[in-house]
Amino acid sequence: MLKRLDRSDLEKLLSALATGYRLLTPQRLADGTRLLRPHGEGALALQGEPVQRKPTEAFFPQHDPLLRIGEQGEVTTCDPPVRPVALFGLNAADLGCIAFIDRFFADPPADDHYLARRKDALLVGLTGFSGPGGDVLPPANGMCDLELLAFGQNWLGVPWTPRGEALLEGFPDGEQAEVEELLESARTRGNPAQDLLEKAAGLVASEVVPDDFWREVGDRCILCSGCNLACPTCTCFCVEDRQEQAVTLRSRVWDSCQFDAFMREASGHNPLGTEALRTRRRIHHKLAADVTRWGEFGCLLCGRCDRVCPTGIGIQAVAAEILARFGP
Amino acid sequence: MSATLTTCPYCGTGCMLYLLSDEQGRLVGVEPSAGHPVSRGQLCVKGWNAHAFVHHPDRLKTPLIRRQGALVPAGWDEALNLVHQRFRQIASAHGPDSLVFFSSAKVGNEENYLLMKLARAGYGTNNVDHCARLCHSSTVTGLVETLGSGAMTNTVACLDETDLVLVIGSNTTEQHPLIGSRILQAVQRGCRLIVADGRRIKLSRHADLHLRHRNGTDVALLNGIMQQILELGLEDRDFINARTENFSALQQSLAAFTPDRVAAITGLQADEIIAAARMLGSAQRAMLFYAMGITQHSHGVDNVRAVSNLALLTGNLGRPGTGVNPLRGQNNVQGACDMGALPDVLTGYQKVADPAMRERFASAWGRPLPERPGLMATHAYDAALADRVRAFLVLGENPLLSEANQAHVAKALARLEFLVVVDIFPTETTAVADVVLPAACYAEKDGTFTSTERRVQRFRRALAPPGEARADWEILSALLERCGISADYTGPSQIMEEIAAVTPSYRGISYPRLEESGLQWPCPDHDHPGTPILHQQNCTRGKGRFSPVDFRPSRELPDAAYPLLLNTGRTGMHWHTGTMTRRSHLLDREEHSAFIEIHPEDAARLSIRDRQQVSVESRRGGVRVMATLTDRVPPGQVFMPFHFVEGAANALTNNALDPESGIPEFKVCGVRITPC
Repeated sequence: MLKRLDRSDLEKLLSALATGYRLLTPQRLADGTRLLRPHGEGALALQGEPVQRKPTEAFFPQHDPLLRIGEQGEVTTCDPPVRPVALFGLNAADLGCIAFIDRFFADPPADDHYLARRKDALLVGLTGFSGPGGDVLPPANGMCDLELLAFGQNWLGVPWTPRGEALLEGFPDGEQAEVEELLESARTRGNPAQDLLEKAAGLVASEVVPDDFWREVGDRCILCSGCNLACPTCTCFCVEDRQEQAVTLRSRVWDSCQFDAFMREASGHNPLGTEALRTRRRIHHKLAADVTRWGEFGCLLCGRCDRVCPTGIGIQAVAAEILARFGP
Repeated sequence: MSATLTTCPYCGTGCMLYLLSDEQGRLVGVEPSAGHPVSRGQLCVKGWNAHAFVHHPDRLKTPLIRRQGALVPAGWDEALNLVHQRFRQIASAHGPDSLVFFSSAKVGNEENYLLMKLARAGYGTNNVDHCARLCHSSTVTGLVETLGSGAMTNTVACLDETDLVLVIGSNTTEQHPLIGSRILQAVQRGCRLIVADGRRIKLSRHADLHLRHRNGTDVALLNGIMQQILELGLEDRDFINARTENFSALQQSLAAFTPDRVAAITGLQADEIIAAARMLGSAQRAMLFYAMGITQHSHGVDNVRAVSNLALLTGNLGRPGTGVNPLRGQNNVQGACDMGALPDVLTGYQKVADPAMRERFASAWGRPLPERPGLMATHAYDAALADRVRAFLVLGENPLLSEANQAHVAKALARLEFLVVVDIFPTETTAVADVVLPAACYAEKDGTFTSTERRVQRFRRALAPPGEARADWEILSALLERCGISADYTGPSQIMEEIAAVTPSYRGISYPRLEESGLQWPCPDHDHPGTPILHQQNCTRGKGRFSPVDFRPSRELPDAAYPLLLNTGRTGMHWHTGTMTRRSHLLDREEHSAFIEIHPEDAARLSIRDRQQVSVESRRGGVRVMATLTDRVPPGQVFMPFHFVEGAANALTNNALDPESGIPEFKVCGVRITPC
């Protein structure tokens, strides 16, 4: 089933989503920041760079209360909001990232807190000609309930789940030929960043990158932790306890493997006690360890760590340097 | 989920960020502003954690009054009436100059303005000051003399077009990370970098030249570099002839600073000084950056003069990619100075000693104003011990941990008849107060901060203050009303209108014009686009003035009894006395306790192991801290951050003051260390 939506159809679809879900849509704020925001708060920004904040925060927030421990030691859990979220406007990389951490949090022992937010959530991909300046984006290939491929002034709606199918019911049919044309356009663009990552990953995994390189890159790290906070596949968190009037509130908080304290032992010894080792770990984890564990890179090339890094040592920048210096 | 665009509450870089809150109104995170010219979608670690302390259970939520020795909750009216009544009593018994008002570089421009109005018009004293006294008072004094304005001359974006950066006495990647990272980006594109710092700071790893001169010898180093620039004929004669005065006096003063003599004073090699001179003299555009390593000395003003002389000598002023760039440490220390929270000036540096300036404010405020400049904050403690000062109002500061020579400060505060502290958390200083007033933090109120590059920008309310806490401007308005001065402001926007009316450099500034990334002062009218670069045609004072300086050693150097030189400062993780960052989980976890950096050679001689507890003593006090063995410090020098109450660096530091700026010598004193 393929549907064709014009602007008013799109508005209808969004209204339908807003009745059943807490709907977040991409909007550009006054300073130029593009974020997923509650639908209706601002004008839709349907084209552009990926939304700045990682969409995985809808299921795994930066600061997330987990439970309360009362005076007598009784524990009550902090239940996530009942109303499920619908994320509208995700590109293929972000959908890949959500799938990546879905697998991580669902892997036994499953993370109930994550799954409670995630289970009824709805994902709507936005691909086709919806990149920066109307560039074509790669298709989502089924990692969402429903995909909208931007095409001229219209959108081709592709349902990937029964829920997606139900949402598209009633809209006029689309032409498969139009999808093919769009997919061909995305195919001919290729994906040079993916090639770069694969070649750099090969060099990282084969241990040809010397320690001096990691020291040089580590020397450029100002320890902002932004690379981890911005990364949609980073799932490390720490636990914060706060006590107020004999009740302890336990929350989880996004952590960063670039912190010294992340691996520091109580003795003070740290097996990852230098910036060089921590930087190596950051890149190695995504390009080598995740491949061993999950069979794919932990980097889906969303571009956020490169954008957020104040000194230009995001994963794509480092991969390019590795390739330039140690490649064939 | 809502997103509120605001300005970071930590350093003076002035990054803008979104505070994100959930459906219940609780802050859950931070996202950098993509379009802001300084943050550009990026933040440092403190910025990323700017939400983390706001909901901490320790927040002050109700006014407290000391009764029978203990601080107990009270109502706002009762607390404010008590404050006003006691200030009135003390002023009438001992004169208005027995009161001292400490303003804050953490609160907004509007709040600094109201506090200095309260001191001057409300209670009749110019005894108003703030922590710029401890950080850039040397800059304000030195650069006003040489250039006519005490602010950063250029803008952060100038780093994209400079050829050479000199960083002297600034650990920029830790203290102004989004400026430090911009320096690293400049280096990546081929800009040359000289770092002058005894410590092996991160920037030094990227420097073409790292000058590890002895702490306190900056004048000798800078004079030595200038002497060589003249010797090599690399000075900018056209600039000197057209734009400066007093050059011959400078020339004469430099003659004695030969490379060999400077090498002997600084501990550097003569070749290093000559190399620095060549690089600085031959750069087309050079930016000079400095911070506390220059200012916090008993000769801090002379250090600033020397930096200014170097910029004038090489013609590095008034153009893109150049300038004298003092980096302001706190989010609003520039603004607190601009607002006249200083004992000798009103807003926009209009002198209280000038009858015409006083008249301007007296007619705006409907009150006569005191003529005599007031006390500097660092002189107020001696005045308290001599009973010349009897009451302090401290707004958003923790002097018991931040001032040099803690024992001296503690004695002075204990001597006061009445101490009022307005703060967001209990601190060492609130613990000894007679009245504590709970304030809203930056995320709970509206206002403006002025960043180090003179950018006036908005901070915005994202949530309500906890309990009964109130915005500082509301607290100060309530005290102004009690003084009989109408202060029924509808909000900070209206206060800014009053500021603009009496302040030429802020005249064109109003809230509607600040919506996104603010305006850089001077902004003299409503159509003016702001001024990214100062001194373009002429200096603010006309000609740039060379101000020759001689080398004076620090007041207390290491000796047989106290053989190590103690340097103090901040780390990248923490903020000043830790009131906020030690209540931010990730920051506190990263650096959890007091430490002292010591070179492995010194440690070996003293039989000290890494992470061992040691006792550190100076002539003024002693503390126990953990030793961190590192070659970041040179042999003979140790470094301590001043964030930690349990190992307070300022129990050790020397309150020897610069005679002109009143800044204490935080960067040099003698200590001895013994293993515990």
